[in-house]
Amino acid sequence: MPSSTTGPDSSPFIRAVGRALPPHYATQEQLISAFRELWATRHFNVERLEDLHRAVQVSGRHLALPIESYPALVGFQQRNDAWIRAATEMSETVVSQALDKAELSPADVDHVFFVTVTGLATPSIDARVANRLRFREDFKRTPLFGLGCVAGAGGIARAADYLRAFPSQTALVITTELCSLTLQREDLSIPNIIASGLFGDGAACAVLRGAETPGAKGPRVVASRSVFYRDTERIMGWDVVDSGFKVVLSAKVPGLVREHIRRDVDRFLEAHGLSRGDVRHWVAHTGGPKVLKAFEEALELESAALERSWRSLREVGNLSSASVLFVLGETLEGPEPRPGDWGLMMALGPGFCAEMVLLRW
Amino acid sequence: MTESELEVLSEIRRIATDELEWSGEVEPRHDLMRDLQLDSLGLTVLAVGLENRFRIRLSEEDAQGVRTVEDLARLVAQRAAAPAGVPVPEVRP
Repeated sequence: MPSSTTGPDSSPFIRAVGRALPPHYATQEQLISAFRELWATRHFNVERLEDLHRAVQVSGRHLALPIESYPALVGFQQRNDAWIRAATEMSETVVSQALDKAELSPADVDHVFFVTVTGLATPSIDARVANRLRFREDFKRTPLFGLGCVAGAGGIARAADYLRAFPSQTALVITTELCSLTLQREDLSIPNIIASGLFGDGAACAVLRGAETPGAKGPRVVASRSVFYRDTERIMGWDVVDSGFKVVLSAKVPGLVREHIRRDVDRFLEAHGLSRGDVRHWVAHTGGPKVLKAFEEALELESAALERSWRSLREVGNLSSASVLFVLGETLEGPEPRPGDWGLMMALGPGFCAEMVLLRW
Repeated sequence: MTESELEVLSEIRRIATDELEWSGEVEPRHDLMRDLQLDSLGLTVLAVGLENRFRIRLSEEDAQGVRTVEDLARLVAQRAAAPAGVPVPEVRP
């Protein structure tokens, strides 16, 4: 199984991660109250649905719009127009923040990977951000749609691949996910009700720089590996319907993690002369409580190993592709990483597939 | 099976086809998890569908005694026939 890899000295590095949550916040109980009446129009046992919302262990979500604005968004166009406005604002915010942290300017950006699965825009959001922040006219754009939750780790992996070919360049990975604006209020199916309890809004931007750029600081992306699980198309995704994106969500995800992740992680690490015991920083996508538990059990991790992922899940919910960059950013800025430490970033998403990224501080 | 249990069976078949993307047969003897391959989400979808159709509430305790389609049909039929608040004997396979 081939990995994307180079020696540590020629590997790109992650210089900084900007992160932003929208200003409107609702607790899980406020959200349940807002949904209860709607649920009761079709469901007899509303208490069961409330329990499902609480079972995801999320205390609340940041929302792109005030909670009272959502019922008026009745069609895909209205939701998507609101998405474009908010996604542009939030993307601009995280790019500015990330470049400030990296002590770089918009003119330093050579390539932007813009990742989302929660809205559509042509030109894509990266073009709108480039106009606002005045990127150079020769910057390159790679919008990525359809990878879902895996795209935070996948975006970092693809940007690192690019920077191995162009080691004097700088790339941004922007992940902007406004899950609340995909919600199909009229879809009262159980998967949609669970999704409405789990997913939140947020954006993140990672600044990656090639090995030949000056001022190397931050973990190097030593290698990455993609794993595609054949014939699992209905595990997770969207059915695109007249009203927008209707969620496809199977309870098989934790089982898939238990079945595959240990083997896949071990093979990836072994290819680099490492084992799980060598990994000091686990940067895991916050899929949900059952997925995090499955990671812990399958990889035999200590209880604190995924603490940042658990905390992020509890505080803001699953932010799709942005989640793993929130965890990465907190790890980068935390006190723990020391030179020589190994880290493993991992996420799973529609395909069904996994992306793993080997980091070294 | 009684007439009311057959009515529940019919609804289980509808939910399996319409909401659970199940294209195989659904027979009373079938094990919900092993034969119909229902996971926790699938069982919840099935329970919610039956609650809505028959205006009943099913609990975690109910699930303890239910293994097959017939067990579930019997439980739902009993629950639907019972006046509100009257406990229904637990079903055991």
